[in-house]
Amino acid sequence: MRARGDGGKRERGSSVGAGRRGVLRGVVVGLVMLGCLAGVVGFQITRPAQSGADPAAFVPSPKFFRELSPSFRTAVADAYWLAMVQYYGEHVEGDREFDALPAYVRLVTDLSPRFERAYLFGAFALLDAGEGQEAYELLVRGARRNPQSWRIPATLGMLIYIYAGNEDKDALAAEWYQKAAAVPGSPDYLPRVAAELLTKGGEAEESILMWGQVYATGDTYARDKALVELDELLPPDPEQRKEALQPLAALMTPQQFLTLSSILMGVLETP
Amino acid sequence: MSRAFAIAANTFRETIRDRILLVILVFALAMIVASLWLASISLGQGARLMQDFGLVAVSGFGVIVAVFVSAGLVRKEIDKRTVFIIFSKPVGRGEFIAGKFLGLSATMAIVIFGMTVFLFLLVWAVAREPSGWLLLAGGFIYLQVLVVMAVTIFFSTFASPILAAVLGLCVFAAGQLSHNVLSLTQLGDSAALQGLSWVVFLVVPNFSAVSLAPVVVGEQVADWSTIGGWGGYLVAYAVIMLGLSWLVFRRKEF
Repeated sequence: MRARGDGGKRERGSSVGAGRRGVLRGVVVGLVMLGCLAGVVGFQITRPAQSGADPAAFVPSPKFFRELSPSFRTAVADAYWLAMVQYYGEHVEGDREFDALPAYVRLVTDLSPRFERAYLFGAFALLDAGEGQEAYELLVRGARRNPQSWRIPATLGMLIYIYAGNEDKDALAAEWYQKAAAVPGSPDYLPRVAAELLTKGGEAEESILMWGQVYATGDTYARDKALVELDELLPPDPEQRKEALQPLAALMTPQQFLTLSSILMGVLETP
Repeated sequence: MSRAFAIAANTFRETIRDRILLVILVFALAMIVASLWLASISLGQGARLMQDFGLVAVSGFGVIVAVFVSAGLVRKEIDKRTVFIIFSKPVGRGEFIAGKFLGLSATMAIVIFGMTVFLFLLVWAVAREPSGWLLLAGGFIYLQVLVVMAVTIFFSTFASPILAAVLGLCVFAAGQLSHNVLSLTQLGDSAALQGLSWVVFLVVPNFSAVSLAPVVVGEQVADWSTIGGWGGYLVAYAVIMLGLSWLVFRRKEF
């Protein structure tokens, strides 16, 4: 009986010991798991600060994708379009280093040669990056590949007029406007802009017209840029400003003109 | 032929019971989330991106489902020993293979067209500018999926389901690179290499001959004769693979 009693105690003791060891093991495993979790999360949350915005992002050659996946080529171009917009957005607000931008623009437009918006956005972004020549070549390439687009030659004409330094820039810009005007379905004001450039009026008036054109036909980004430029070009006096804005009414819809003039007259805030 | 249709109807019911159609729901949820995200970051190119990425997703989901279901289609009947009951009746091996293929084809038609129509409606709802070509692109993804299914069924007649599935996926990937093999046939002076390249080019299904995604986003103009020819090629390829499957399967002893 005694022995059995001792045995019972020993059994109880060993089961209590096993229970304690189980709890201890659980605690140790739990602590190890928590430690690992802290390590994983700690590593990841410190990455953004460690990596920063790398201006030299890796952008593969268009040839690589042309050979790899012809069936998914436009999808790859779209993925890099998103990456390009993201890249531009990150750097324009930060260090303004755009080393990889020309490669992005080339990749997207080579994989999707008819991606009109990529040419237009790419040209403005390249100008911001100080790559005027690259922007010019991009739009020339875009105009050649997209004979059905009037926006690309019109934008090229506008950029030549505003940014080119050569003496015959008016004639060159007018030439691109004429090409844009020749595209079926292009807006009525294009031949007028071309004609005005050829007869050469006041530079400020023409610039206002052209930025008005950008506002009328551009995306959100181009519109914001046009608003900034127009605000600088227009006379500060409210009456004179209102008068200078009037020619833009012919370039856009009444709703667009109302919004534009409200912003520039200070009635509305810049979006 | 009615026996093949009976097997097809049974296979259709069986695959539907396996909840394959849930893939449409997963696709729908993924596309809704993606469309909201893309609309906010694509600078007005939401419709283009949704159509492009959506077609890639339809193709990806379709091929994965088709490969993994068709890889086990024949083997499951052998493992469950139902194949003995089937062949104790006057059912030919060819009718069995054709029935299995037709049944899964019907299920995949619902899966692929369900996803494509949902994508079309989503682009219409979000961006109001869906391309009619989107539906035709879905049709050609379906034809490619049929070829992948036929190839996988062929592999499954002599290999394990896992190996058949892996080989099916490899053939799909190789088919996307078919044009590279074609360029190999024109490179170098070695007649042996050129001959080998031609053999590979003829054997591997050509999935890169025509791509309708660029037509959907306005990147290319559709060439009807090429599209029609490619459609016929894909159907013929699937028929050849089913014929080969029958040849291998008829030698099996049950």
